[in-house]
Amino acid sequence: MIRFARDIGAVIVIAIVALGVGFGVNRMSANPLPTMYQTPEQRFDAQLTRLVAAPPFPITPNLTVNLDEFHSAVSGHSTTILDARPSVFYERGHVPGALNLARDDFAKDYSRLAPVLKPDLDKPIIVYCAGGECHDSKMVAGALLALGFSKVRVFTGGWDEWSAAGLPTVKGTAP
Amino acid sequence: MVSGRIADRQGNCTMNREGNLHSYTLITVSVILAAIFIYAGVEKIRSPLDFADNIQGFAILPLALVVPMALALPFFEIASGLLMLTPWTRRVAALGIAIITAMFIVALGSALARGLTLDCGCFGVGAPSRTRMWAELGLDIVLFAVSLSIYLRLFIGSQASAANNALAA
Repeated sequence: MIRFARDIGAVIVIAIVALGVGFGVNRMSANPLPTMYQTPEQRFDAQLTRLVAAPPFPITPNLTVNLDEFHSAVSGHSTTILDARPSVFYERGHVPGALNLARDDFAKDYSRLAPVLKPDLDKPIIVYCAGGECHDSKMVAGALLALGFSKVRVFTGGWDEWSAAGLPTVKGTAP
Repeated sequence: MVSGRIADRQGNCTMNREGNLHSYTLITVSVILAAIFIYAGVEKIRSPLDFADNIQGFAILPLALVVPMALALPFFEIASGLLMLTPWTRRVAALGIAIITAMFIVALGSALARGLTLDCGCFGVGAPSRTRMWAELGLDIVLFAVSLSIYLRLFIGSQASAANNALAA
């Protein structure tokens, strides 16, 4: 019996050493596992959150559109229009046909819109936010580029310029 | 008298031959077990994240224990495999292998009973399949039986030699 207990003790020692080695190797690896397990969905959300928090989309003239170009894109229906503002502002008023991909709730909104967006990574996309100095559209655009969307541009005039021009708007949660 | 001695010698020879045969079988089986567990451990180390997902798929362990299990188990398997290779540590290694295979049998059996279709991650990453789960359950039962019989044989042998030493003293 004592011999058996000693054998069990030795197995426990091996298990503890294996745990220590496992954590040590994990710490030294390039992509260490977090101590608390995350489901694939949680990891995807975390990845999206990191993406949208990354340095924003570089603003160059060929990556931005002015009001006229934006207006024709909205009327043409061949471009996906994304509103990067928080949902509360989207519900108060947005550009007709625009989908809400809020920068502050990017992971959740992206997961909701992925079935619409992902099938065609080359479809033109224009992102807008409030306008003026807002960065939400640039951050969302940067994240979309990182996710593989190839034709992403930003309407820098944003909601302020669109609504000030007296162009049509829509209220509520629907595009 | 002479014929009695000859009979004794023949008996000893037969016993030695049987003993050698048992030793060779034990060594061969131990090397096979060692190879299986070292291979299984190395395969799991190559992709710890996938192995953690596999463990979580069984929905048995609390979330806090999934990563520690995913990190420790491969090294435990490798250590047990290596320790199977030396006669001094074989008994403990066989017990370690019997314990983890018993654990795998319970996990796979319960997953099959609950109707889950998983990739158990036993020998690296694969597609989820119930056929594979049944095959791996069968393999685990064989590995459990073999490792337990090695342990019991070595355990009883060590008990007997300890008793002989006590008598001689």
